[in-house]
Amino acid sequence: MTDDERARSRSGVLSPVIGLGTRAATATLRPVVGVVESAAGAGLRLQRRAVDRVLESDELERVVIVAVNSVHIQDAFRLALESDGAAKLVDNLFDSGLIDRLFERLLESEALWHLIDEIAASPAVTAAISQQGLGFADQVGDDVRARSRKADDWMERAARRLIGRGPTKAIPAEPDASTP
Amino acid sequence: MTSLPVAAVGDAAVGTPPAPAVGYVGLATRIVSFTIDAALITFVDIIIGVGAALILSLLHIPHDLRVVLAAIGAAAYIVGSIAYFAIFWATTGQTPGARVMQIRVLTSDGARVKPRWAILRCIGVVLAALPLFAGFALILFDSRRRGFQDVLARTVVVDAPGPSIADVSRAKKRAIYEASRGLPPASPE
Repeated sequence: MTDDERARSRSGVLSPVIGLGTRAATATLRPVVGVVESAAGAGLRLQRRAVDRVLESDELERVVIVAVNSVHIQDAFRLALESDGAAKLVDNLFDSGLIDRLFERLLESEALWHLIDEIAASPAVTAAISQQGLGFADQVGDDVRARSRKADDWMERAARRLIGRGPTKAIPAEPDASTP
Repeated sequence: MTSLPVAAVGDAAVGTPPAPAVGYVGLATRIVSFTIDAALITFVDIIIGVGAALILSLLHIPHDLRVVLAAIGAAAYIVGSIAYFAIFWATTGQTPGARVMQIRVLTSDGARVKPRWAILRCIGVVLAALPLFAGFALILFDSRRRGFQDVLARTVVVDAPGPSIADVSRAKKRAIYEASRGLPPASPE
């Protein structure tokens, strides 16, 4: 009988004993495990409820507002932005070429151009462009009208000066003669 | 712009409330308006003429018949031009050029021009142009800025301020949007 066969016959004898021990241990520990699991679940639920309460409370909002409005926080933020470190950080960001690569990749992206095409063809944008064109035409029209009215008066004055007549006399009003 | 007082066909009735002042339109504005109309008519006639010439070039037509067709085309041009002005004056009182310049042709008492008077006014325009446009020079001296054609057809040309093309377009778009969303129409501002 080889060593392997001997070991296999020993394990065959011991396996019922081991199985019995395992079942006994499981049965013994089951109440303890249940209690621990229940306690852990209750703790998690309690923690989740506490987080929800905090997030829903007005207190958190008030604390955030106070923090944002705090002079100290604002001073600290301002000092951080004005510091040499922030400037160096920005310089390093641009020197690294990351921004260039980002824009290169963006410009190479088919999705970006597709998005731009979609936006350009959208009814809102085309309507805005057409309104812009009409608005420009309106401005030109207003300008032409104003200038032509001035030219009316100027030509009339010039013609009257030419023949030595005075300006147009005021004539009485006619109630019916109004623009419909 | 000088806003002239409203003209009187007869004397203003005593005790009647004063009417709002109406600005009579002078020569320069009317020239611009007429130029726009002339450009529009010419553009349409060029399109029609080119189309007709293209069709005729495909057909074998004797020379005499071509002359007759050319005469018919010229007559159609004149009739079309007269109809263009007469119809617009007799309906809205505004040709497209007049609409751009915001002016309107009315009778002396502020009513709409009748078709036969509109045709007469067209003839008056031609007659006014014949003596080196002297008929139009009357506009510079008349108290109601009337030219020969206005005296002949008893009309005046007055300011007609209205919504701009952009305003009309915006209103249409808004109406379409409100109709598509089932919204009540917005109250006028």
